[in-house]
Amino acid sequence: METFAQSLVSGLLMGSLYAMIGIGLTIIFGVMRIINLAHGEMVMLGMFAAFFSQKLLGIDPFLSVLLLTPAMFVLGVAIYWLLLRKIIPGGELNTLLYTAGMSLLVANVALLAWSGDYRTISLSYGLAPMRPLGIAIPAALAIAFAMAAAITVALWLFLSSTDTGRAIRATSQNREAAILMGIDVERVALFTFGLGTALAGAAGALLAPSLYLYPTVGELLVVKSFVIVVLGGLGSVPGAIAGGLLLGVVESLGAVYVSATYKDGLGYVLFLLVLLYRPTGLFGVGKS
Amino acid sequence: MGWVGGAVAVAVLPILVRNTFFLHVAILVFMWTVLGAAWNVLGGFAGQVSFGHAALFGIGAYTTIILFLKGGLAPWWGIPLGGLVAALASVPIGLICFRLRGPYFSLATLAVAELAKLAALNWEWVTNGPIGFLITTLPSLTVLGRRVDWEAKTPFYVIAALLMAFAILSTAWLRQSRLGAYLVAIREDEDAAEAIGIDTVRAKVVTLGLSAFLAGLGGGFYAFYFRYVDPDAVLNIGLSMEMVFIAMVGGLGTVVGPLIGAIFLTTVGEAVREHFQVGHLIFYGLFMMIVIRFLPEGIWGKVRSVLPGMRAVRHGAP
Amino acid sequence: MRKLASPKWALLLTVGLAAPASAQSLKIGAPQPMTGPDAPFGDKFKKAYSMAIEEINAAGGVNGRPLEIVIEDHQAKNALAATIAEKLITQGKVLVLTGGRASGQAMEIASVAQRLKTPYLVDHPSADMITTKGFEWVFRNNPTGSIYPSAFDSFVVEYPNAMPRSAAVVYDNTLFGKTIATAVMKFLKSKNVPIVADEAYPVNTLDFKPIMTKVKGTSPDFLLMVAVATTDAILLTRHAKEIGIDARAFVGFGGGFGVADFASQLGPLAQNVFSSASWSGNPNDPKTKALYEKFHAKYGIWPHEHEVEGYAAIFIIADAMKRAKLTGNLDADRDEIRRALAATDMTTVFGKVKFGNWTGPTGDPFTNQNIYSPEQSVLAQWRDGQLLNVWPKAFAETALVFPDPGTKR
Repeated sequence: METFAQSLVSGLLMGSLYAMIGIGLTIIFGVMRIINLAHGEMVMLGMFAAFFSQKLLGIDPFLSVLLLTPAMFVLGVAIYWLLLRKIIPGGELNTLLYTAGMSLLVANVALLAWSGDYRTISLSYGLAPMRPLGIAIPAALAIAFAMAAAITVALWLFLSSTDTGRAIRATSQNREAAILMGIDVERVALFTFGLGTALAGAAGALLAPSLYLYPTVGELLVVKSFVIVVLGGLGSVPGAIAGGLLLGVVESLGAVYVSATYKDGLGYVLFLLVLLYRPTGLFGVGKS
Repeated sequence: MGWVGGAVAVAVLPILVRNTFFLHVAILVFMWTVLGAAWNVLGGFAGQVSFGHAALFGIGAYTTIILFLKGGLAPWWGIPLGGLVAALASVPIGLICFRLRGPYFSLATLAVAELAKLAALNWEWVTNGPIGFLITTLPSLTVLGRRVDWEAKTPFYVIAALLMAFAILSTAWLRQSRLGAYLVAIREDEDAAEAIGIDTVRAKVVTLGLSAFLAGLGGGFYAFYFRYVDPDAVLNIGLSMEMVFIAMVGGLGTVVGPLIGAIFLTTVGEAVREHFQVGHLIFYGLFMMIVIRFLPEGIWGKVRSVLPGMRAVRHGAP
Repeated sequence: MRKLASPKWALLLTVGLAAPASAQSLKIGAPQPMTGPDAPFGDKFKKAYSMAIEEINAAGGVNGRPLEIVIEDHQAKNALAATIAEKLITQGKVLVLTGGRASGQAMEIASVAQRLKTPYLVDHPSADMITTKGFEWVFRNNPTGSIYPSAFDSFVVEYPNAMPRSAAVVYDNTLFGKTIATAVMKFLKSKNVPIVADEAYPVNTLDFKPIMTKVKGTSPDFLLMVAVATTDAILLTRHAKEIGIDARAFVGFGGGFGVADFASQLGPLAQNVFSSASWSGNPNDPKTKALYEKFHAKYGIWPHEHEVEGYAAIFIIADAMKRAKLTGNLDADRDEIRRALAATDMTTVFGKVKFGNWTGPTGDPFTNQNIYSPEQSVLAQWRDGQLLNVWPKAFAETALVFPDPGTKR
């Protein structure tokens, strides 16, 4: 029983961070129908930004989220404005391939600049895990979970109560209707891409103290994030949250009860099954 | 005319050029042309973007090397069998993935390729897991009364050239066949194609079969020439991306495109690697972005549309 | 010290600082990963080779001729390693090859070297297969994956009460991880030690807590961890301790368990963890100490396994070249060097070197494998942030601590 509880908790904690990565990807898809293969690299940049702000400026990585979220937003807007905007009219597949190229470029430039040496962020307060009820919870992961939850709540409020937020949801639901309602969908797209990128960067900063950083970590993460958004339903924020938590738990329980070797395989199989039989996601809230 | 000239040049090259490294590069170009053509058949002609073609390449490589090391079957039989096994494997893959359209199809191929790699790493009784297989000696063969010297480049050059010729010819055949016409329709608008009575599933599955056969041939040749196969070498996503790159840069939907793409990748890639100390992946990423933005029809596509005297380029003509 | 890969355009490195590179120089070729994720390792070898060559050339070279090393980037890709090996042999006209770094690439280089009749001295790659295929042109100085655990094996047999009552083995599903795990498990099984957990994980796993949760459930007496990636080594240990595994010994196999970051990242969690490596450096030995100081003075970092292996390899090659009768005919010279290598009998900083044909722990016969490799396996232990050799006794810098003081067993 203790094993089960431990792996469940571990899975939920990791899953919350996966969820944050997935949210960024899913809102971009919802509004622009772009599958952004470079999303993993955005997370990687967030991780490195947190690392360097600790190393060079002495800022705690969790605090650095406050700084780098706006910075990543600007980056996202720049990428959309300067690069993607001209590619999107060329069609879904062209855009997909373009983001694939972008992903290769960013990851490998990072590799050149920062070398393949892994890096870790160590926190003075992070060494011993907390042990409520005998279940080990690493401090860094717990803080990350709390902040991820807070950011998600803030995002939800933004999407439901502000004009821009509502415009994003409207465009995501039905682009033509939104245009008819007078929404400047290009502006919305620009904003959303920035927002998605910012969320990815923030997720990276939160993840960094619990993992290790290397420039090609995006490869690993992007596949997971696609599994999440498909599970949860493309375009749905609650879906991404649920999908992230679900994937975290499946991987965790899978590693313990099935096999560590095949745990990634479980995710892929689940992914294929959902794509084939429930393209709107497990909860049926996605767009197809 | 151009074909004859090209064929003569290829045939004569190893006689004129004695430099073994140059021949090695030529062999690489031929192999990559086969792989680029494989992807082009599915991606350029049928418009189905696969990110998992390395799986088919890997199946071909493993088939050939296992048949040789465990079954004693000489690689020159093993290579076509590698292609065949890859083609057979592509049927269930296609039946699963073709239910999906556009980017969803692409993501599904990614998942399938990752599963293939996982299988290769863990099904040791088949693939020897991460240890892989190594060919130390090739069987002796006499052709026209002479023992083939496997230490020399020429025999491999010949085989690679023949494989390349096969790939190019089959692409050419596809283009002017009825299936090719169906694919154009499917690429433009799959629903409309269905509506006019084209069996799109069958067309896609057959095309994938041909694509897989070519990829498997490439894989089999890899096993034969490089002699060492392990999951990371033949099933990694980088390979899939290189195949996409060659086809795109060369010219999607053209017959000669993959050859141009392969030459470009091998020569410019080598030069970049040597002189700029830049990982060639930066080069791929950047070029992919540049090509999609400014040259979506690829190098060959652009050449055709620009050179006077060539017939007007239909979308998808060689 | 700048750790960035220098963005200069000439990747072809020519190091022959004591004398200008000329037709006179003796060329060594070394394919290494200079870009891509393995680049940090390639860099280590580059530094090590450079230092060795400088030293040799400063002392007059080999029979008056300077050594020159040509390093080319294979980006950790097998096919590219084969291409580069060919290039170095046919275009670069090198007399001998070394390097490779990872086993997959080394396999290709060995295959090419054997076919193109050029000697290849393996300095670091550990797959047993490289020297069990009967390649007479391939020589290896370092221990193979199956020989790696030798020190651990002798420890559990000879040290009082050290035979595990049960063992959990967690390893990465790579050539390296699999070979070592298989060798260790085979040995333990031969001593009737039950293996209560046999967990293979994919390299660069982000989260080991599920695996460690499962392992904890089996209550192992010893926890054996194998990791080819440093990051995995650190996370494995961290998560094992965080989940609260109680073992009499935590043993890590793999270079990552021996780097400075292991201790700095894990702090008190690293205390008393064993690290099995192919070389931990015996500072009792004045030559080792001198190397350490010199390397640190020149590059600002302390050398480990990789650097010492690369450094030693150059000296082995130089020794062979000294004894070989070189006439200027490339094919004949390569064969001469091969013969000279086969007759090697010397000691380097890394250890004694003599190549021979013998049967290894896997049961496969080795060709040209250093017969002293089993002696090079060493068990070290982390004490207060320092990695100290503890076994075999001849190399020990301090007394062994066992069982782990934190255990309740």
